Amino acid sequence: MSFLHPLALLGLAAAAIPALLHLLQRRVPPELDFPPVRYLSAAERESARRLKLRHLLLLVLRTALIVVIVLAAARPLIPLRGGGAHQPTAVVIILDNSPSAGAVVSGGSVLDRLRVAARSSVARATSGDRVWLMLCDGVLRAGTREALLAIIDSTHAGWQRLDLVDAVGGAARTVDAQPLPGREVHVLSDLQRTALASGHADVPRGVHILALEPGSTVTNRGIASVTVSEGAAVIELSGSTAAGGDLPQPVPVTIRIGGGARRDRGEIAARGLATPGGGGGGSTRSAVTVSLPVQSLAPGWWLGEAALEPDELRADDRRPFAWRVAPAAGVTATPGAGAFVAAALAVLQEGRRVIEGRDVVISGGEAAPPTAPHAILQPPADPALVGQANRALATRGVPWHWGQVGTPGNIAVPQLPALDGTPVARRYRLQGASDEVLATVNDEPWLVRSGNVVLLGSRLDTAWTALPTAPGFVPFIDALVNRIVVGEAAVNSAEGAPRVEFRTRGTDTVGATVFGPDPRESDLTPATPALVTAALGGRDRVEVLSANALSAERFAGTRRADASAILLVLALLLAAIELAVATRTR
Amino acid sequence: MAQRLDLLDPAEVARLGGIEIVAEGVVEGFLAGVHRSPFRGFSVEFTEHRAYQAGDELRYLDWRILGRSDRLFVKQFEEETNLRAMILLDASRSMAWQGTPERLTKRAYADRLAAALALILLRQRDATGLVTFDERVRQVIPARVKAGQWTRIVRGLLETPDGQGTAAHAALQRLTALLARRGMVVLVSDLLFDRELALVALRYLRHRGHQVIVFHLMDPAEVRLSGPPEVRFRDPESSVSVVVRPRELARAYADTVQREIAAWRKACRRHGISYHHVQTDMPFGLALRLLT
Repeated sequence: MSFLHPLALLGLAAAAIPALLHLLQRRVPPELDFPPVRYLSAAERESARRLKLRHLLLLVLRTALIVVIVLAAARPLIPLRGGGAHQPTAVVIILDNSPSAGAVVSGGSVLDRLRVAARSSVARATSGDRVWLMLCDGVLRAGTREALLAIIDSTHAGWQRLDLVDAVGGAARTVDAQPLPGREVHVLSDLQRTALASGHADVPRGVHILALEPGSTVTNRGIASVTVSEGAAVIELSGSTAAGGDLPQPVPVTIRIGGGARRDRGEIAARGLATPGGGGGGSTRSAVTVSLPVQSLAPGWWLGEAALEPDELRADDRRPFAWRVAPAAGVTATPGAGAFVAAALAVLQEGRRVIEGRDVVISGGEAAPPTAPHAILQPPADPALVGQANRALATRGVPWHWGQVGTPGNIAVPQLPALDGTPVARRYRLQGASDEVLATVNDEPWLVRSGNVVLLGSRLDTAWTALPTAPGFVPFIDALVNRIVVGEAAVNSAEGAPRVEFRTRGTDTVGATVFGPDPRESDLTPATPALVTAALGGRDRVEVLSANALSAERFAGTRRADASAILLVLALLLAAIELAVATRTR
Repeated sequence: MAQRLDLLDPAEVARLGGIEIVAEGVVEGFLAGVHRSPFRGFSVEFTEHRAYQAGDELRYLDWRILGRSDRLFVKQFEEETNLRAMILLDASRSMAWQGTPERLTKRAYADRLAAALALILLRQRDATGLVTFDERVRQVIPARVKAGQWTRIVRGLLETPDGQGTAAHAALQRLTALLARRGMVVLVSDLLFDRELALVALRYLRHRGHQVIVFHLMDPAEVRLSGPPEVRFRDPESSVSVVVRPRELARAYADTVQREIAAWRKACRRHGISYHHVQTDMPFGLALRLLT
């Protein structure tokens, strides 16, 4: 219970007035002669018990009357489950318009259902509340009620995934920082299980998390990723199966290749059938490899799109992809480059991945020809030559140099998964100030690029590293000479509306980013209430509610009704009883 | 038309003058309103003959002597009463109390009532006396019928000061020795003393053949309790005090008073004693009429 005018409670001290008056009056009553005192004494003896009870009752009634009147003056606000005004509340409404919200369930869009709840939350807010709206981009939007309603009405399913744990944690911290009596976070989401997998939200005490319960699980299948390598496209599918639904069936996948930077290539179509696989817990995963037509092996950047048959969630039914077929680089290895490098280049020449030429020079510690456009430099085998090699680097303007001998470790190279974890027994520390670090050993640079020069911390020799004997060594040399040294990056993927964006350097295209929905959005399996409760703050702070229950509980933590009218009625009742008891003579 | 004083408010009547004036006025009014003597047992007694003189009423001629001796003699009578009335007046301190200044004190009311009663009795040639008492007997005026007796009685009333406590039973027991001849005893008191002990004395008087009449005087404020919200009431005789809230005790007090009156009435009736409850706002004539 709280009070609108708490200072009025000081008047509770007045509750002592009846008792004080009683004591004071008893102290100095007027004295009068009255001969028949014997009759009085007899009457009082007969009425003593009744009078004591009456006095006690009057004292209680009068004290209660004062207390009730003072409480009424303080305007008490009592908690109310339904209706009534609520105290000023800071509330963040998380409207999850991530791609999965675009799913159609039972003939209606999930987002439409969430929007209705969001509108209701905003509509119930009063001028004393502070309301923010958070969409799948994680940005808190403040504004007037009308502005927020307009945002809600214009919201469509986005392309960004919303991590509910992070979103709720941030929202909880925001409302907790507000000096308002009420603090709530309304989570209006389809509550995908995958959206709650990142741990537990840190929700401060006093923040109330109200989550709209999810709808039913629907079967969905989406394209998680498309990777092109060696003339084939590997298409990974992810999705979910409705509880009690039919077993997953093979899924036809269509890819279309064409367009891109060279529109004159036309369009090539290919088809495959993805065999379903189990992901566990209602989710499904599967993959299909589709061979690319020979026309798509010509050098250059290629664009494609993989597509599925339409289902409940359209956002993940198609995903673009891009790849580059590079022209064979002209490579020369100096004698010091080592036998393993020479052998690898020979293999690549046979496969027409490289040709004889001086576009790229791989050296083994000796100074590379300054005329070479691109150079891949290994440290010299003789430590005495390191200084000379470093001076050559400085002459060439490379800000890196080989330093002290480093500790053995494993290679960490995210761009080349085949080499990740390969042991390195001997290495020099690469020391420099800037530029790209492509691989590390023990968190220290091992493979770096500066302009058109690539430096290795170890020689490509089995005395230095196990890399030459690894299966991925030849592809590594291929990537090194055809892609890494010329500055081309791998094709990256990012969240967003399905599209491909190329990165350029000058007139050259050096990379591409493929945008599409997060693959986890395809898994429409909702989290269980227990998981929601655990992930979003714990049982004492989280409630997963139906739409009706949410409507009732919204702002319920601070919903109050002014009880002064009830107290005044009670005061009148007490006064009437007091009057009756006081005037009753028997 | 002149108003009868016996039917006016006692306090207003008292403002007309002293006890004598008030009593005479009351008695005049009272006797004008009654058609027969309020008291029975009066008679005249023959004393002697004398020679008839012109102007004597013929009805007093002794016809027997006239027939035997042919001489005119008239009979002479001495008026006499067979009633000896003694008024016992409570002069204790409690009697000197009035509920409001507008009313007479119980003592003032009792004085005037006793004076009026004495005047009536004396006018009927009844020997009338007065005894005033509080915790002891203060004044004793033996019952006489001779002229000036009423004046003595009134003087006795005036000379009796307000007493202290009331030990009525002791005084009454002593009075029994003073009332050797049978007669009428009129007790005027507020009866604020031990009822059983007082009744012992009254029963004794009754046993001695006295006609006993009790006037129980009360101020109206003693019947209906009122006063400040809370007050300490003190007994002027015993100084015993009690703190009460008159409003909340009024009903219980009224019940107690009514029970006390009923107890006195019942006890008196049982022993052949006439009991009359009189409040000091009752006109004197009505109080006297209680005796008829």
